[in-house]
Amino acid sequence: MSTLIEVKNLKKYFRSPRGTVHAVDNVSFNIEEGKTLGLVGESGCGKSTLGRTIIHLLDPTDGQIFYRGEDVTHPDKAKLSELRHEMQIIFQDPYSSLNPRKTLKETIEEPLILSGKFTAPGALEAESTRIMDLVGIEKRLRMSYPHELDGGRRQRVGIARALALNPKLVVCDEPVSALDVSIQAQILNLLMDLQDEYKLTYLFVTHNLSVVRHISHNIVVMYLGQIVEMCPTDELFEHQYHPYSKALLSAVPTVDIHNQKERIIMKGEITSPIDPKPECRFAQRCPYACERCLHEIPLREIRPGHFVACDRCEEINGLE
Amino acid sequence: MENEKNNKLLEIKDLEVRYRSGGRSVHAVNGVSLSVDRGEILGLVGETGAGKTTIAKSILRILPDHAIQSVSGEIIFDGEDLLKAKNNRMTAIRGYKISMIFQDPMTALNPIMPVNKQIAEGIALHMGVSKREAIERANKMLETVGISSDRGGEYPHQFSGGMKQRVVIAMALACRPDLLLADEPTTALDVTIQAQVLELIANLQKELHTAMILITHDLGVVAGVCDKVAVVYAGEILESGTKEEIFDHPKHPYTKGLFGALPDLSKKVSRLSPIDGLPPDPTNLPPGCPFAPRCPKATDECRQGAIALEALNPDHLCRCIHIDE
Amino acid sequence: MMSDKKKMSAGAEELHESLQPGSFKYIWRHLSHDSGAVVGMLCIAAILIICVLSPYIFKYDYSKISMIDKNALPSKEHWFGCDELGRDIMVRVFYGARYTLSIGVLSTAISASVGVALGSIAGYFGGRFDSILMRALDILQAFPQLVLATLVSAVLGPGLDKCIIALAISGIPGFARMMRANILNVRGQEYIEAAKSIDCSTARIITKHVIPNAISPIIVSVCMGIASSGLNASALSFLGLGVQPPEPEWGAMLSSARNLIRQYPHMAIFPGLFIMITVISLNLIGDSLRDALDPKLKD
Repeated sequence: MSTLIEVKNLKKYFRSPRGTVHAVDNVSFNIEEGKTLGLVGESGCGKSTLGRTIIHLLDPTDGQIFYRGEDVTHPDKAKLSELRHEMQIIFQDPYSSLNPRKTLKETIEEPLILSGKFTAPGALEAESTRIMDLVGIEKRLRMSYPHELDGGRRQRVGIARALALNPKLVVCDEPVSALDVSIQAQILNLLMDLQDEYKLTYLFVTHNLSVVRHISHNIVVMYLGQIVEMCPTDELFEHQYHPYSKALLSAVPTVDIHNQKERIIMKGEITSPIDPKPECRFAQRCPYACERCLHEIPLREIRPGHFVACDRCEEINGLE
Repeated sequence: MENEKNNKLLEIKDLEVRYRSGGRSVHAVNGVSLSVDRGEILGLVGETGAGKTTIAKSILRILPDHAIQSVSGEIIFDGEDLLKAKNNRMTAIRGYKISMIFQDPMTALNPIMPVNKQIAEGIALHMGVSKREAIERANKMLETVGISSDRGGEYPHQFSGGMKQRVVIAMALACRPDLLLADEPTTALDVTIQAQVLELIANLQKELHTAMILITHDLGVVAGVCDKVAVVYAGEILESGTKEEIFDHPKHPYTKGLFGALPDLSKKVSRLSPIDGLPPDPTNLPPGCPFAPRCPKATDECRQGAIALEALNPDHLCRCIHIDE
Repeated sequence: MMSDKKKMSAGAEELHESLQPGSFKYIWRHLSHDSGAVVGMLCIAAILIICVLSPYIFKYDYSKISMIDKNALPSKEHWFGCDELGRDIMVRVFYGARYTLSIGVLSTAISASVGVALGSIAGYFGGRFDSILMRALDILQAFPQLVLATLVSAVLGPGLDKCIIALAISGIPGFARMMRANILNVRGQEYIEAAKSIDCSTARIITKHVIPNAISPIIVSVCMGIASSGLNASALSFLGLGVQPPEPEWGAMLSSARNLIRQYPHMAIFPGLFIMITVISLNLIGDSLRDALDPKLKD
């Protein structure tokens, strides 16, 4: 398995009237080709910004992005155009991610027209029909406008547009969180089928841990712009070592009424990532915080393949 | 007298609500019957557009007048039919006997009024106490929901999302209502904040012995909080019963489908089993069972006449003719 | 059987395609099905036709003074009566429509095109140009539109062309602001990001995705703008700053009738009535146009 995308010490800062927002701060990870990396965190933790920075919808402030081993942090125009064909994004809100004045056909055909590959008579039509088939949109809907469709179908159109250029990496930014449960399952299954068929690599950004468990191979947990824990999916659901991951997992409501787990209720709320102090960003809410937490905490490998950013990790979890 | 005989606080019988929309009539609620006992939490579960919020709003009679075509049935609250009550009687009930929490805490608060004044407003109106007394009580209420009373004089924008929802809860519970209608109270919040707020609601409910209808699309939230569950689909209750009955022995194909479609944190399945198709168009409902077009078990019989809600046992009602299979 | 079905669906599709929201045919169909808009269009059309044909159908000249008919009340001979110089009011009203309407159309066209261009640039690119432009517009908007127009035409002097320029300048801030706000709103939508991600050029994003979604409120307010600047033109003439006598602009007619309004109210009523009809008609058309341009309201 080869590494498709690698991110090294990536930073994305925004200026705001109140100071510099450290939306993504020193993040490193990689994704193997054909795998799914789940990026989990609460609102404002920088997960969407990270996803958009990787596919160059935003320019990174610092750090490096490698695509198939090649440094693509600051691509020139030609390279960027090439990358756009390799990396795509599916948005959260199927209501605002489709141009309300374009029919489905126009939306799906636009990337094909721009690619300039489908100039033969009928080729465009054939290709767009193929893609609509692929994502399960009935052909009779091609002249419909987004507002005439339900959320699930709209999200299928978003997926169709993303897949039209045959990308290798797809950033899925909360693709199912606006959908009802029964429709959500349809879309998740579709995404998994497409991955199998086209060896797609997903960066799956979400706040929903149940969905992430279902779809990802590896998981990154983010808190205020930094990675706090990173490991294979099953490993995380068996042992969470970071106090934040523990609290996050325990907070997810479960339908098993006989096994309601003990919730770890955290103090306070997520603080803002504006000019953060050089200390563990979770310390203010952490039940285990002490003076040792008041400096930068690097991510370290606790067990093979399991990285945690906590100084007191061994103590808390009784590890040696 | 009647109240002493039974413990029933709210009983809805055959509620039907129709909206007018673009010349067509929208069948939003179609013959819903349910009851809530004192101190009990009923979970109303269903997907977008199932009619959950309409049911809650008709209890408070706050449906938008201009869009309503007809409302029929009975909503008996504490022995009184709210659908027949006079308007000034409703004003006295709203916020005092029954109050409601909405999904979005950001829009539920007046941005230009300190939060303790907003809470005090309701107290002064319904409890007939002086302004100063009302503010004092409001500050006490803030303490109850975990906000220091020092912050009472602050404005909504000075609070975070979770804190605002706490203020909204304080406002709803300020007059110690008998019934609280909570419409997706945690949907707009992050998971860890949701956990805080749900715990708060559960504790307060126990403390004040308030009955509650919790409207949600999240079966996990229901599992954690409710005593009884009603599954709503296309304006009808398809299955209802105690939480144990519904979660341990779901009978209706739709309820089963919902559980199957849900990715679960505690176990990994290779593939989810979604429910095929889409909910029916409320302006053009199919005759017979509304779920029939999506149901794997549907037969011709399902598509013909209306199907009755039958009791499988005293704690479990289900609207399906194929349960035995 | 199969081919029949196919044919039918193909037919349906064709119909669908030709009636795309935004297409001229579609807008026309919507307008012609809206009774308000139909009334509005009929009124405007009637005024236009009579005003073009007025030299041929009326036997009086708009400037011909006749002392016998001085202050004449409406009669068989003079349907709308005559003014203080004995000129036929009906002829003057229809002749005057040329001035009022052309001032409205021209000044609105100028202010809309300048405003839209400025607003688009400011909205899409932002930065320093945006802040400078917005401050400049703030200054212009510190005055009510009519006061600003009065000010400009007081500087430029009276006359038809100056009146148009004055009204055009005073209308720019409104259009620029509206366009900027629309662009800012559209620019933040996810479909713009999506367009970027499929390698759309900036020019294509602006022309295909941003402007089509930002322009429809402008088209509507152009319609309303014609009405209001016609009204302002009347106000300017009323103040003696617009079209000069003996040219029968509606506002000028009102202005000269005001001294006699107690004794001879018909002199003010008829021009006033036509100002009202025109404004209402244009507003009705504008309202209906707004609905026609919104694909969400497609039935």
